[in-house]
Amino acid sequence: MDNNEIERVIQRMSRTPLSRRGFLYASTMSAAAAFLAACSGSSTNSAAPSTAASAAAPSAAAPSAAASAGASAAAAEASYAPEGSLFMYNWADYVDLDNIEAFKAKYGISEFTYDTYASNEEMVTKLQGGATGLYDVGAPTAEFLPSLVDQEFIQKLDFSRIPNAALINPQFQHFYDPASPQGKYNDYHLPKDWGTTGIALRRKDVPDEVNTWKQFFEVAPKYSGRIVVVKSAGDVLTAPLKALGYSLNSVDPKELNEARELLRGLAPHVLALDSDTYDQKLRTEEAVLGLTWTGGVVDMREEEETKDTEYIVPEDGTLYWMDTWVIFTDPPHPEASYAFLNFIQQPDVQAKETETNRYATANDEAKKLVDPAILNDPTVFVPDAAFANLEGAHDVSTDPLRVEIWEEFVSSVGG
Amino acid sequence: MAVTASAEAPRPTTRRRDVRQGLLTALLLLPASLWYLILLVLPLAIVLLFSFGERGKTGGYAPGFTLDNYAAVLEHPDPFITSLTLAISGTILCLLVGLPLAYYIATRAGDRKGLFIILLVIPFWTSFLIRTYAWLMILGPEGLGGFIGDTIGQPSFRILGTEFGVLTGLVYGYLPLMVFPLYVTLERMDRTLVEASKDLGAGRWATFRQITLPIALPGLITGSILVFIPMMGEYVIPEILGYGQVYTMGSALVLRFLEARNWPAGAAYAAGLIIVMLVVITVYLWFTNRGRRTRDVSVI
Repeated sequence: MDNNEIERVIQRMSRTPLSRRGFLYASTMSAAAAFLAACSGSSTNSAAPSTAASAAAPSAAAPSAAASAGASAAAAEASYAPEGSLFMYNWADYVDLDNIEAFKAKYGISEFTYDTYASNEEMVTKLQGGATGLYDVGAPTAEFLPSLVDQEFIQKLDFSRIPNAALINPQFQHFYDPASPQGKYNDYHLPKDWGTTGIALRRKDVPDEVNTWKQFFEVAPKYSGRIVVVKSAGDVLTAPLKALGYSLNSVDPKELNEARELLRGLAPHVLALDSDTYDQKLRTEEAVLGLTWTGGVVDMREEEETKDTEYIVPEDGTLYWMDTWVIFTDPPHPEASYAFLNFIQQPDVQAKETETNRYATANDEAKKLVDPAILNDPTVFVPDAAFANLEGAHDVSTDPLRVEIWEEFVSSVGG
Repeated sequence: MAVTASAEAPRPTTRRRDVRQGLLTALLLLPASLWYLILLVLPLAIVLLFSFGERGKTGGYAPGFTLDNYAAVLEHPDPFITSLTLAISGTILCLLVGLPLAYYIATRAGDRKGLFIILLVIPFWTSFLIRTYAWLMILGPEGLGGFIGDTIGQPSFRILGTEFGVLTGLVYGYLPLMVFPLYVTLERMDRTLVEASKDLGAGRWATFRQITLPIALPGLITGSILVFIPMMGEYVIPEILGYGQVYTMGSALVLRFLEARNWPAGAAYAAGLIIVMLVVITVYLWFTNRGRRTRDVSVI
């Protein structure tokens, strides 16, 4: 990586949002940027994004002026008595900075703290370590809701205080089947963003039609040693289960063992298990076919050298993940929390979120305001053909057989 | 230490003084003892306790007593073997590279000694993670790996994603930990011993084997252990440079603790790792000490 390339990466990262799952890579690179900046004095235009505390700096917004501004907003508006502070615990760089400023101004929030976690596990571990009562709002991934609710880390939401929740597509609010015992978890969250796991490929190297997971497994041997796969059990098991027509959350031993056979066939052809820099491997054509997320792939298509990159949402169904707003138990600022949840789902605010984060919104009204170019982008919003077959990821990562199959796969990739 | 030294001082020691000094010793040792107790003994005890437990309903740990976790370890010993192979070959490579380097700096570098030491330290100013990512570029398809592939006409040749690539990263990452202890012992070596050996007719090899090596031995042992232990549990380097193709103990632990959220299963692996390391280091120390003892005898 020569200097130009490093600068390009830095610029790319400062221009577009980071994959929230690419945190490790991102923080490394911004640390690298800081290091370079320190070495070279000024040549990098200090474009390095601060991954963690960018929003944490308390700006001197005058609370009195803001309080009056709050009254002027009309739309769907409940009344709040915000406490002047909000403590957020979230993925890094996951809320538009202008939106944060607008929120602070509107509700007279002078202290907006934005702490970050790099994984759901990290957040849960911190809460288990006694961090309850420290934070107001957060955005865990929906599959972690049951665990968070059962351990009483998050509270049931009073939706009468979030009028904008009515704009959310019911499919996402009802992440858990309302008829099932798990349906109760739907009362604890407000959908934030969602995205998919799919197939990324370099079209100039992969002329084959790969529109389904089934085809992915069929063509894999042709691209032996040039396939990159994210290191995430739930995402990887999705591929064989969906190719076979089963639920991606299956814990049925018969179905899982069939899936295991497909993975055994795939393992020797895999170049790398990589959740953080898979886009880099596709960029250099070290890998030409991938089972990946959308992060990074968006940027590749915008760059001249890699614009043959495609991201395909498999038509035989795939996983969608959803990050969702929650209010923690005993929040220090409950009023500000509700104000924020309603504010962030305001259609114009939410549309801006989508344009910044490049993850699909669950808010139907906001979707109408999103830039059509982003709306038609399969990495952000899923094409209709694939939408019907999407399936939410549930927390089955601890099923012993799934763990066993995953470990077998992980320990047998490559030759 | 200081207390012992002052006790040896030629002063009249009264009983009261003894008591006071005993108290002082206890006071001075308290922080270290607490440190060991809270940060070493206690966590270790928790790991052992957890390793016999069962997985909690929402992950983590639930009390219980079962040996299943250890049975699972014995069923899947592969990551132990991979890590052990990597750590042993990494230590040997570090030794092969580090000993001549330390010897050169300590005895031949002259005025530039300080410069070389600083050069060895400079990489530590940058984050370990960044340095490892840098190796991705150096060894990658646009770096050395691609170059060798082109040269030998094998486009599929690569260094990354192989045990060799991982080994390169390991040796790079831990080499200073081998060089510094070796340097310290060699630097204090009495050069006249080497001259005497030569005067008495010993060749280069005999001098090295009978003079330099025994003197360097304490540094060599310290260095090897300093290098071996972290290599055994290394997670980041195999993960990044190994492309996930080299499945080590570190990966196995992460899979159990974080992905499967099965702390008891992870704890059993951690306990297994500790046991393997203890065995290897004990054998190693016994072996090197035995060497030293037989030599003492032969000298007499």
